Amino acid sequence: MGLRGRLTARTELREHAGRDFDCRKAFEPMHPDGTLEALMARYQQGDFSAATDLIERISPQLHRFFLSRSQSRTDADDLLQETWLRIHKVRHTYRPGEPALPWFYAIARHVRVDHYRKSVRTAVLERQLEAMSKGVEAVQEKSDSADGLNAMLAPLSESQREVIEMLKVAGMSLEEVARATSSSVGSVKQKVHRAYKKLRETMSATGFRKGQSGVYLEK
Amino acid sequence: MKNEEVDYVLTEAARAPYDLSPETLQHVAASIRLSFRPVRPLPPTWVMAGGLVLICAAVSLTGAARAGFFGFAKMDLQERLLVFPALILLTWVAASEYVHAMIPGSLRRISPGALLGFVSAALLAVFAFLFRDHQTDHFFSIGIVCLLTGFFHAIPAALLGWLLIRRGFAVNSVSAGLMAGVLGGLAGVGVLELHCPNFQAAHVLVWHTAVVPLSGAAGALVGWTLRFRASSSAGERANSK
Repeated sequence: MGLRGRLTARTELREHAGRDFDCRKAFEPMHPDGTLEALMARYQQGDFSAATDLIERISPQLHRFFLSRSQSRTDADDLLQETWLRIHKVRHTYRPGEPALPWFYAIARHVRVDHYRKSVRTAVLERQLEAMSKGVEAVQEKSDSADGLNAMLAPLSESQREVIEMLKVAGMSLEEVARATSSSVGSVKQKVHRAYKKLRETMSATGFRKGQSGVYLEK
Repeated sequence: MKNEEVDYVLTEAARAPYDLSPETLQHVAASIRLSFRPVRPLPPTWVMAGGLVLICAAVSLTGAARAGFFGFAKMDLQERLLVFPALILLTWVAASEYVHAMIPGSLRRISPGALLGFVSAALLAVFAFLFRDHQTDHFFSIGIVCLLTGFFHAIPAALLGWLLIRRGFAVNSVSAGLMAGVLGGLAGVGVLELHCPNFQAAHVLVWHTAVVPLSGAAGALVGWTLRFRASSSAGERANSK
């Protein structure tokens, strides 16, 4: 990577750090007992209201995380359900004081990978036949609910997409993404840099431009 | 298009409202309510890592006590002061990373493959510095015995280590298996350094060090097999429904 590339990467990362801070603020309520970490501690102590609070706050972003790579919304619902069962089973592995969001995402990621392996290994033919018959409805169902972010991230590889989703949708910092993906901060930075490079190329080619009101529009 | 512009477009798209039906959330809450009770969080990393180091030391000492401390007796002070502290330090590093592999969302300082490479390279460096006898007698016949002795002591060390941290949850069973294997392998190397009186450089560099990658590979294979069996049985259950 040349000097210009390194400078660009640094600028990108500074941007992320600043924006991450803002995103996290949006998730954290005023009362300190309402942070994800405090709720997790209460969940471990057997407080059911803390568990329902966590379900309400974390589920939408986890569902979105699953929907980006699922056949349909029903699949994402199933994965969400499975993830919460797994979270409940291994809730003792959360360490009070540690960031909670990477812990949730690490388990969600495991469930998603596990689900993908199962679906590849078993009943591939049945799924293909089923998908052929339901294909049209499923695509319709997903396209109805999918947002612009999914379309924008489509040209990225699975790992790059995952990292960008965690940074932008979940509002995680680089270190938190590294924790969630069981990788190093350096590896996450590299994925972000490559993802941005690809997105710059794709968006320039497809023709995103800044409108008069400052909003970016497709040409 | 600039990075700032890409960033702006992504942030705007991510801010789009996302609805999830209340029924789905209620269904999730209801599914965990039945088994709701307080749980005890895992102890701190240093406690679990310390336990793993003690297990490795116990396995090494027990193995050497059974076979004889011939290697330790033959070593001079400099060799003892370099080999055993290096082994303890590497075991501590491997144990800490193994604990991190068993806790979701832990910060990983080093990948499992890099850990295996680092531990092997560190052992090679220490052995190459200390053992300068470049003669080779019965390289394969004696070497295989040492490799198997180390490997067979790595198995109980890895199993006991797993028993200690079985309450954890490995998000990647292959990585966790590799880490467990590396840790067990270091216990196996410990047995060899205490027991084996053959200080020929080629023997120690090849056969003693090889215990770590061999047991690491075995651990990764066990992890992969467990993952394969788990996903196969889950698939069979799904098909039978």
